Amino acid sequence: MKKLTLFLMSLALCMQAYAFMPGDDGDRLLGVWEPSNGRARVKVEKIGSKYYGKIVWLKEPNDPKSGLPKTDINNPDANLQNVPLKGYRMLKDFVYQENNQWSEGTIYDPLNGSTYSCTIKMTDPNTLDIRGYIGVSAFGRTDVWKRLAVKK
Amino acid sequence: MHNRFNPYWKTIILSLGCWAFIHVAQAQNTDSTKQESADEEDFSMYDNVGFADEGARRYCSPKIEGLSPAKLISIGYDFQTGYGLGAGAFKSQDKNTNWSQDSVNVLNSQGLRLGFNIPVISRTNLVWQMGANYWEQRYFMEDPDGSALQTNHPLLQTLSQNGLRTLGVSTTVFKPLDDKRFLLFQGSADLNGDFSPLGMMPLKYLKYSAALVYGLRPNEKKQWGLGLARTYRVGELNYIPVFLFNWTDPANKWGTEILFPARAHVRYTINPRNMLFGGFELEGQSYRLWNTNGTPDKFRDEDLEIRRGEIRLRAMYEFSLKDFIWLSVQAGYRINYRYEVDRLVGGQEIYRAFGLLSDEPYVMENRLGNPLYFNISLNLVSP
Repeated sequence: MKKLTLFLMSLALCMQAYAFMPGDDGDRLLGVWEPSNGRARVKVEKIGSKYYGKIVWLKEPNDPKSGLPKTDINNPDANLQNVPLKGYRMLKDFVYQENNQWSEGTIYDPLNGSTYSCTIKMTDPNTLDIRGYIGVSAFGRTDVWKRLAVKK
Repeated sequence: MHNRFNPYWKTIILSLGCWAFIHVAQAQNTDSTKQESADEEDFSMYDNVGFADEGARRYCSPKIEGLSPAKLISIGYDFQTGYGLGAGAFKSQDKNTNWSQDSVNVLNSQGLRLGFNIPVISRTNLVWQMGANYWEQRYFMEDPDGSALQTNHPLLQTLSQNGLRTLGVSTTVFKPLDDKRFLLFQGSADLNGDFSPLGMMPLKYLKYSAALVYGLRPNEKKQWGLGLARTYRVGELNYIPVFLFNWTDPANKWGTEILFPARAHVRYTINPRNMLFGGFELEGQSYRLWNTNGTPDKFRDEDLEIRRGEIRLRAMYEFSLKDFIWLSVQAGYRINYRYEVDRLVGGQEIYRAFGLLSDEPYVMENRLGNPLYFNISLNLVSP
């Protein structure tokens, strides 16, 4: 009985310590994700305590006119229009809150060069609701992203 | 002594071991993503990936690349330059009163146009939007000789006193069937008439329009479809086929935005924040003549509706003023297609089907000139 009590106490302490590790729940966002349009794949990484997503794959990687790798030609800042899209951080500064939600971040749309406020909600371990919005959440659009894994 | 405590130590070490394993595994996972940089990363490793959830499916998007942005909020003003308006003669329902024809100069007609569209559900397998709109058209008239308006014609009286208004709600549902095929449904319910904002018409005068399109989206730059619409765009109720064709060229410069016959535009993209359009829109509705302000007694009981349909040939320039605030300016030529007045029979509209099912004449046949028009709107566009 003593052994069982001691084991449960130790396990409880471990669980408690694990639960208080900052960001651990939030790390479920890490991985490679595909937006609903299937045009890109985005890898979510953690830098410090925040989460960032960069483009790692493009369905159409090269510019059809020049044949060269696509750059961020629609960026309103002309100095950034030569930055390659592969490797571009389109999700920035997300902080894990609670209840499977990440907020305080932005999402960049390379198709029109606009940056939107954004929240992320994980609806199941392999699905994200990515809501880009303008000012208030009602003026926005939700895109559903799916988790990717190496094909067996 | 040693033997007595040994099992406890084993238990503690085992528990800490579990914790350490979880912690290290977690740390390794985090570190592996932290340490990679864009320069070092081999992007080819992401070619050979698939959905982690094997049951997940891809669905086609409601938009294509290069399409002009959808408007969430639109505040606009429409202005038509002067034209002549000839109102036809007609008899009252009881045949006891005759109104003779009369003509006026419309100095201009103008009005506010407000529109709202809010996404309600936006999921990969279903997109649902709700909208509302308010349009008004006020008429400023004079007699043909340039003197102040003096007319006994009830149509001219109500147009000059009350103008025409539309207040409506709409819904759009986009249902992708797979990654190539989709269904698009649009429906609206509108109150149209000579009512004033403070004196609303009863809801029984709502007019319902709808369209259902079955479409294909073979690639990121083209979607097309065929469907059927119940529409008042030619002024009176009709059931007509509709054709959707949105397309963008490989260089993202030229494209089309077509939902024929409602509208068809060629698009030239200067850049994603500056777009030029040329084409037409077919506008129209059935307007209930209901307001008693400035019209003869019992005119409301005549059960009359204006069947208004017009073609707007136009050029448009839409551009981003700042971020998501876009300005749209358009100029064009408004061609009158129909402005007749119809009487309801037993409270029912006469369904003519372009004369195929009925050749019942309109009770009042009117003539309108075709003026230049201008429209400007400030818009909050969708992400």
